[in-house]
Amino acid sequence: MPARVFEETVLPHLDAAFNYARWLTRNDAEAEDVVQDACVRAMRFLSSLRDDDARAWLFTIVRNTWYSRVSRRATVTEATLLDTTRAERPDDGLDPEARLLQQHTVARVRAAVEELPVDFREVIVLREIEGLSYKEIAAVVRVPIGTVMSRLARARERLLAILKPSAAMETLP
Amino acid sequence: MSCEDVARDLDAYVDRELDADTATAVRDHVSGCAACRRQVSELEALGRLVRSTPYYSAPDRLRARVSGRTTRLTHARQLLMWAAAAVLVVSVGGGIALMRPAAPRGNAIVDDVVDGHVRSLMAAHLFDVRSTDQHTVKPWFLGKLDFSPPVADLASIGFPLVGGRLDYLRGRPVAALVYQRRQHTINVFVWPEDDSASAAIDSGSARGFHVPHWIRNGMSFWAVSDVNDAELSEFARALQGS
Ligand SMILES: [Zn+2]
Repeated sequence: MPARVFEETVLPHLDAAFNYARWLTRNDAEAEDVVQDACVRAMRFLSSLRDDDARAWLFTIVRNTWYSRVSRRATVTEATLLDTTRAERPDDGLDPEARLLQQHTVARVRAAVEELPVDFREVIVLREIEGLSYKEIAAVVRVPIGTVMSRLARARERLLAILKPSAAMETLP
Repeated sequence: MSCEDVARDLDAYVDRELDADTATAVRDHVSGCAACRRQVSELEALGRLVRSTPYYSAPDRLRARVSGRTTRLTHARQLLMWAAAAVLVVSVGGGIALMRPAAPRGNAIVDDVVDGHVRSLMAAHLFDVRSTDQHTVKPWFLGKLDFSPPVADLASIGFPLVGGRLDYLRGRPVAALVYQRRQHTINVFVWPEDDSASAAIDSGSARGFHVPHWIRNGMSFWAVSDVNDAELSEFARALQGS
């Protein structure tokens, strides 16, 4: 029964679908629309769902739904420069994480991720927030695993460049 | 391995995506190289930083819209299930021995555990007792089960206990402990194991959910959540050691 399969395999991942869509669209209303459309598609394509990959499968549908909505729009995102005001000099005794946390609010982290080009942004979200394996990300994004790896590495490089205060670099031995 | 070799594999190392031999080689190098160690720390810190951003949960409005046509069905099944659970609990109270199937292993249990997790989220019946205090949650099970589940709070490492409920799994009433990780729910199902030998953590998965399992002091533990694998493993190790 499709309704039951939908309810047991797709709905439990609704939060994940919305989270992914929200990062893609960077907009609440648009994310809602995308996920609603994606659920309609998911219902229709339930038979293509294998047993153990409902979440990644739903991500793929969310992604396709979003891309088809924006296909006539320019999707190239220019990475704009963030406010580069530095917080005060970090405490040398702190470990790297504490040092980062000390100086950056959640809002700033979110802004940094949102500023990433969408190809980089989505691999960061799928990996760091949703915890997908490289293989799963490759399936969702439809690129080879090597591409997933290089995008992740470059995305992290960019994020570190933005979030790691130059002051912290200077204090390193 | 040189620093250049390590640099190439660093992301995959931090993401635990390297094969065992390469991971060992990287670990050996990193343990003796401060520069590479610092880069590992930075990547790990960056991951935690990204995960510290609030999770975008689906708004209720959206959930209602996409699940509207199936909710009635859910409630009917849910009622039946709880009726069955109630009957069994009554039998336990009356001292009637339960017929339990011989401990089945592997995927069948993982599937049932995932089902139990999904049911709890969908039916909005996550809690019978809602408390972050282990000394409230543990006694709540007294008299409702024929065993006493160990209850630990892991708030200090970011997995606060939020409550518990009676659930019904593998043909018997079980304890379900509920923990939270950001916006994610972690269910831990606990029941006594006939074979009381302890078992280390092994991990199954079904339908996109990871399910670490272990046995300790005669109790079988099954954790399930959609938090990422690394965090759930951390949770399982902490709970097992608590
Ligand atoms: Zn090195």
